[in-house]
Amino acid sequence: MTTENRPTGFRNPWLHLAISVACVTVYELLLKRGAAETAHLSSTWSWTGLTGLASIYVWIAIVFVILSLITWLYVLRYLPLSIAFPISQAVHVLVPLGSWLVLGENIVTLRWIGIALVSLGLAVVARPVARLEEEL
Amino acid sequence: MTAVAMVIVLAALVSAVAGQILLKKAMGASHTDKGFRTSAVVVPFAIGIALMTMQFFLILGLLQRYDLSFIYPFQGLGVIIITFAAAITLREKLTFQLVLGSVLITAGVVLVSMT
Repeated sequence: MTTENRPTGFRNPWLHLAISVACVTVYELLLKRGAAETAHLSSTWSWTGLTGLASIYVWIAIVFVILSLITWLYVLRYLPLSIAFPISQAVHVLVPLGSWLVLGENIVTLRWIGIALVSLGLAVVARPVARLEEEL
Repeated sequence: MTAVAMVIVLAALVSAVAGQILLKKAMGASHTDKGFRTSAVVVPFAIGIALMTMQFFLILGLLQRYDLSFIYPFQGLGVIIITFAAAITLREKLTFQLVLGSVLITAGVVLVSMT
């Protein structure tokens, strides 16, 4: 299977999975900041989203989303999709947490429960994998 | 929600799942001597990217008519569907923990995006 010849060190696919998730999180937060900054620019063009390009944050966000795609493709080269994809859903924990911490957005109770459920699910998926990696 | 919208939601889900499966297939086939220069990589990669693009525009169209908090929870279902689809089409090993974890993540994503 894909587990053979798995690279280590900086080429470790697990590291790239973490980078990919981090990039998506940074991308979402930057995009929101850029969108807020440019919301007032032009009412005629704002529905296209193109006015967002006037913000440097949006351009940096685009760089991050491209990085996340490249690292994700690298992840797919080595890890099973049925493990990598559920773990990539960590963005659903990190993006709300980031919006709360960095952007000062409010999180309602039901959403905290959702965040807790995703975290629990991530732990359940990742634990047997971590044990397997230790044995190798 | 109209029947047409329901079909589009389903189409978006199916193309997202199929897109990921094909990208995985393409990257999985890149381990031979030929690397990326083989049709076993290029063909599923191209179709995978096309499906992801289609999914993007289907979602965009849905968002023009419905709230994000209504459309997004359906995307959460992608987690559990991808786990099973990968087990069936890519013959990846499915464990009890994997299924349980995917169900928890799906439920969590639906809650996070619904509220």
